[in-house]
Amino acid sequence: MAAMLPGMESLAPAASAQRASQDQVEAAYLYNFGKFVRWPDGGHGPLQICVAGQDAFEQTVTKLTSGEQIDGRALQVRMVERPELTVGCSILFVGSPDRAHLEPWLAATAGKPVLTVGDGADFLDRGGMIQFVQVEDHVRFSVNLNAANRCGVELSSELLKVAVRVTGRPGKGGAQ
Amino acid sequence: MKMPGSRSISARLMWMNLLVSGTVLILAVIAFFSYDLVSYRQSLIGSLETSAQIVGTNSVSALLFDDQQSATTTLSALGDSPDVQAAMLVTNDGAPFAEYRRPGVTQAVPTPALTRGSVDEEWVKGSHVMLARRIIFQGKPEGTVYIVAELKETTQRARQYLMIALAVLLICMGTGLLISSTARKTLVRPLVALAETARRVSRERDYSVRAEAPPDKDEVAVLVEAFNEMLVQIQARDTALNRGREELEVRVQERTAALRAANRELEAFSYTVAHDLRGPLDAVQGMVYLLNGMEKEAREGERKEILEQLRLSTLGMAGLIDDLLNLSRASTASLKRQPVELTTLVRGIAEDLQRREPQRRVEFRIETIPAVVADEGLMRVALDNLIRNAWKYTSRHEAARIEFGAVNRRGETVYYVKDDGAGFDPKLSDQLFQPFHRLHGRGEFPGTGIGLATVQRILARHGGRIWAEGTVEQGATFWFTLKSGAAASG
Repeated sequence: MAAMLPGMESLAPAASAQRASQDQVEAAYLYNFGKFVRWPDGGHGPLQICVAGQDAFEQTVTKLTSGEQIDGRALQVRMVERPELTVGCSILFVGSPDRAHLEPWLAATAGKPVLTVGDGADFLDRGGMIQFVQVEDHVRFSVNLNAANRCGVELSSELLKVAVRVTGRPGKGGAQ
Repeated sequence: MKMPGSRSISARLMWMNLLVSGTVLILAVIAFFSYDLVSYRQSLIGSLETSAQIVGTNSVSALLFDDQQSATTTLSALGDSPDVQAAMLVTNDGAPFAEYRRPGVTQAVPTPALTRGSVDEEWVKGSHVMLARRIIFQGKPEGTVYIVAELKETTQRARQYLMIALAVLLICMGTGLLISSTARKTLVRPLVALAETARRVSRERDYSVRAEAPPDKDEVAVLVEAFNEMLVQIQARDTALNRGREELEVRVQERTAALRAANRELEAFSYTVAHDLRGPLDAVQGMVYLLNGMEKEAREGERKEILEQLRLSTLGMAGLIDDLLNLSRASTASLKRQPVELTTLVRGIAEDLQRREPQRRVEFRIETIPAVVADEGLMRVALDNLIRNAWKYTSRHEAARIEFGAVNRRGETVYYVKDDGAGFDPKLSDQLFQPFHRLHGRGEFPGTGIGLATVQRILARHGGRIWAEGTVEQGATFWFTLKSGAAASG
């Protein structure tokens, strides 16, 4: 991407110098996704960001989002160890170490208004909504709109604008 | 127009017109341009603010998800706005995130940090405007947009205004020329004609010319009218002056001639007086000589005769001197005007004459006429002369008649003394009143030749005149008048 903007080349070292670890970036993105998503129930109470069985990442997210709010809703980050415990989650992150167990997590949230985010290579193909991808040294993401539409989760066009790849079409009630 | 004054007046009119319209125009252009500049700058800043807001909103996701490409694309949309020169998106920590530069722009956008708490700030430097706007998303600042724009249209607009002003100024000049040419017709032309007339008057001293009055009744017309009126007066005075000068010349010549004649007359008079006095004086000397040479025993009768001759000679001299004194008095004595009964005077004279020569058979017919206002002494002298004259020239006639009276001729009272005596040749009537001019020989009728001249002077002193009618041996009539109104009331 930087190669496409010759004038920007000088900015790259500064950006890389401050770049957080991939986990931190992903944690920030996870939080930022929440700002571009509208859930069908409108949302009330604290917004729960759930991390599927990943202790370290959960702590990273917790640290990053402490004291933050989204649309006036307080944030609550918790680690869920089993898919059954995803009730109440608005965002569910399923990290790559759990790839083998991906199916139960997605099954547990299928049809429910939960934004599913993962970093497995075939996360979208398996029915996930947002998948982190590595583009050069940047963390980027792709979106599966169909999956989101099925669950009634509306993704903002602003979010889609910065996505690497968007599959599917916006639903009838696609968020702007 | 050959007169420099006319050009300057019309040119002045035109310049005045140009000055006024030009000043108004320039002031109006400046006012409009200033207003336009301010409103243009404000509207530009407003649109820049909107652009910054839109760009900021659209760049939120790019900032949040570190998508510089998306941010650059969003920024490049600013290129659609012709004023925007460059833009910069900066993250919260001041690091440049994305940049847009219009082709040809080499200078990077300066990104001064916004003061804490402010959402947007703007800087204006010359024709450049820089605007910074903080990107707020969900209540949190996510970065800052900087947009640099150039008020490119400012110079263009200034040029347009200048062109319009020039065009209007040209129109004004044309209009000014038109107006001044019209003004030249209606205003300047009469003035030029007036000036030409004035110049001609002063150069040729010809006061008969008149300036042409303009058709309009304006101040110029009044000026022309007043000028013409002045010319009329000057011309009248000039004519009067010339006439007066000519008359004066004629009068001087007349006076000179009259003085010369009077002088000659005076010389002749002196000679005559000397000559007339010399005659009796010679006689007196001769008789004194005779008396001296006479013996004592000479006859008493002879001596008495000589003495009688002596007495007559001195008497004649005394008469002449008296007459001369009367003439002098008639000319110089001051008039004491009072009511005078001419009838009484004439009666007294007639009685005196009849007493002196009772043997004469003369019938007096004296009309009673109203009193007149005159000097009694002089009137007595005048009437005495006239009546004695009539008495004298009727002495050759055995019976005579002397009349005194008055008639009214054309409202004027004319007095007369009429006799039926020797009369005179009417052709010589002019000489009657000149001193020492006698129409009859001394041997025929005695006299000094001064009496009638004295009468004429006395009457002239009273504002009257005298003339005579007569025929040889048919009598004479002396007519005289006194100044009108001389008749005394009562």
